Order: sequence, then structure tokens, then C-alpha cells
Amino acid sequence: MIKRTLFFGNPAYLSTRNEQLVVNFPEEAKEEKTIAIEDIGYLVLENQQITVTNGLLMKLIQNKTAVLTCDQQHMPCGFLQPLVGHTEQTERMRHQLNASLPLKKQLWQQTVTAKIENQANHLLHRKKNALKLKRWAKEVKSGDNENHEAYAAAYYFQNLFDIDGFSRNQKGLAPNNLLNYGYAILRAVTARALCSSGLLPSLGIFHRNKYNAFCLADDIMEPYRPFVDALVYDIVETGCQLQELNTHLKKELLALPAIDVFIDGNQSPLMNAMSRTTNSLYECFEGSNRKVLYPEF
Amino acid sequence: MSKNRFERLNQYRSMWVLVFFDLPTETATERKHAARFRKELLNDGFTMFQFSIYMRFCPSRENAYVHIRRTKNALPKKGKVGIMQITDKQFGMIELFHGQKVQTPETPSQQLELF
Repeated sequence: MIKRTLFFGNPAYLSTRNEQLVVNFPEEAKEEKTIAIEDIGYLVLENQQITVTNGLLMKLIQNKTAVLTCDQQHMPCGFLQPLVGHTEQTERMRHQLNASLPLKKQLWQQTVTAKIENQANHLLHRKKNALKLKRWAKEVKSGDNENHEAYAAAYYFQNLFDIDGFSRNQKGLAPNNLLNYGYAILRAVTARALCSSGLLPSLGIFHRNKYNAFCLADDIMEPYRPFVDALVYDIVETGCQLQELNTHLKKELLALPAIDVFIDGNQSPLMNAMSRTTNSLYECFEGSNRKVLYPEF
Repeated sequence: MSKNRFERLNQYRSMWVLVFFDLPTETATERKHAARFRKELLNDGFTMFQFSIYMRFCPSRENAYVHIRRTKNALPKKGKVGIMQITDKQFGMIELFHGQKVQTPETPSQQLELF
């Protein structure tokens, strides 16, 4: 089902009644609003003056809603993770923890191949040259020992935007800020799907930074990144100002979970496709499948 | 990637389910049953449109069936209930009045909502 995304950028009181989320506003003129909790997929809390009741948090978690909190820079900085994401959670985590190194390397190879393919298709879609990427996608070895991923990413970003000297950098020039925001949302979508498939989002197949709590999410979201890039590219094309991340731009980026992607021969919203990906990943850990399903750009 | 990014989420696929009811409220038991039915609707995410008319947005037809089935399971023993589903496109053509004053219907984007 296509779940809803709610974004709170203004002061609000959030509580619950009748299995619904009740929104009250400090301004008295504004009427109370209710939304069925069952329908909510993502809840982005951005304003500092938002009050949430514990009853609501409990219901949101039980519904596997991803609750995202944002920092002073309005960037998503946290994700509320349920302790119980799946009925078979413990068993599934055991399979994940027991995954052998060769299996992890193969999964990483598939992931990088899918990512580079998608990057190449995105470049082609924008009528740009992608021969190099197409070739690199074929040359990825188990575990990506030769680090094709990094070469491909560098080439891709140099050629995607028509901006001189553009490079991906946390604090780099616009549209880096848009990309960061989009990736943060994508990360939450991935982490939510992993949790609901009963997997540990912190234990990656390739990423292993000890300071990173979402290593597996960072692995699995790689082939999905070009979809964020495409959204950002379209925003850049409109020629609006990009320095400041305003509500209009966020609105465009927050539509990410609902955009259609092509996966396994079907068109499906990104958030549903992500669940298919994480389920196929579990099957790989379990040993009943050998291929992770990734969308094609 | 296709031109339209939201094929799965268009006005002809998303549905509104409307529940109309007339329930007897003569005796205390009947009132209790009527209240329970109304409560079940609220718990299932319906909101009051007018007295005895409740509605709910559903992102797909399949999802609309889910909520229709739940409503059917909660039906009270007595009284009249109507369940209707229409597309978001049809619902968008609604005209609302308060007295003779035209009211603007709320038509926020349903998937993403900003507060």
C-alpha cells in the first residue's frame, strides 16, 4: 500500500484518539485535523516546537511508521527504530549475522553493478555519454575490490550536472544540499523497510564504519540513489534558487517514497519496491535466493 | 524512468469510501450499538463529513476493499447503512455550501501532507 508522508514544519501538538493521529495547532484559528495511523508511512518532525504524546509514539511504532526528527539545520538526523519489526525477527537476524564473507561480497557486487547501471541509465536519460559507466558496470568483481563504485560515482557526478567543478561534498555547493536531504529521506525509507523485513539495519554487507548506525541501509540504498538524483536534477532544471532549502523544495524531495520505479518487471512506488528489495535480501541471507531485487532506472 | 512519476497514485486509482447510515436510537441498547458502529468507523480512519455520513481516503481500490470489508464486519444488527466508493477525481468535483455560501473543499495532496 502507498503510505502517506506527513511533514511538520510548524509548531503542533500531536496526540492520538480512535487509532488516529490528532494534530492541534497553537494558533486557535486553525482547526484540529485527524489522520488514520494505519495510513502513515513517514512522519517528519522538523520544527523545534512539536509536542508528541507517548501514546502516539507507541501506536506509530506498532504501525511501523518511520518517525524522523530533524536537527537545527532542518536535516533529518534521527529515525525511531522499532524493537520488534517482524515476527521472525530473531531468526532473520541470526541468518543475517551468519552470512558468510563470500556471500556478502557477492551481494555487494550485485549492489554496485545495479547502482552503476542505474547511474548510466540516468545519464543516458539526460542525453549524456554513459559508455564508461556501462563498461564499468560489467567489470565489477566480487566485493568490488577494484572500487569501481567510487570511480563511477566521481565520473557520474562530474558529468550529470552542468555545473563547473561540481563534486559531492557534505558541505559543497548547491545542489549538494538537495542531494543530502533526498538521501536522508531515502535512508529512512531503507531503514524502515529493513526493520520490517526483520533485519538489522546497523550491520552492513560492505559499509562497516563503527560510527555509522545504518550500515546496511547505506549498502542497500545505493542503487536507489539515482532516483534522488533525478528528482534533484529536475529541480535544478527549473532554475529556481537552490541555496536555501525551503518548503517548496522539501515538498518535491519528500515525494520520493511515492515515485514510481520499475522493479522485477513491474511498476511500483519506491517505498513498496524497497520492501521487495529488503525481502529478497533476507532470502539471500537465508539461502533460498541468490539475487537481490533492485529497481531499474 | 517514466515521464509521469506518480502513475500508481493518480486521481483515477485513489478512492474515497463513503458510509451513510440511519440507525435506530430509540432504546439504550440501540444507542449503544449505533455508538459502537460509529466508533468502529473512527477507529478505521473514517472522518465525519456530515452527521451520519463518514468518509475515508484510500490510495488504491484494493485498499478501499479492505476498509469496506471492515465496515461490513462492524455492521449493526438494525438500521440502514450504505457504503459507496468513488474515485478521487469524482470526489474532487464536489460542491459544498454553508447556507448559500460556497465553501472551498479541502483538496490537499493526499500522499504528502505538509503542516
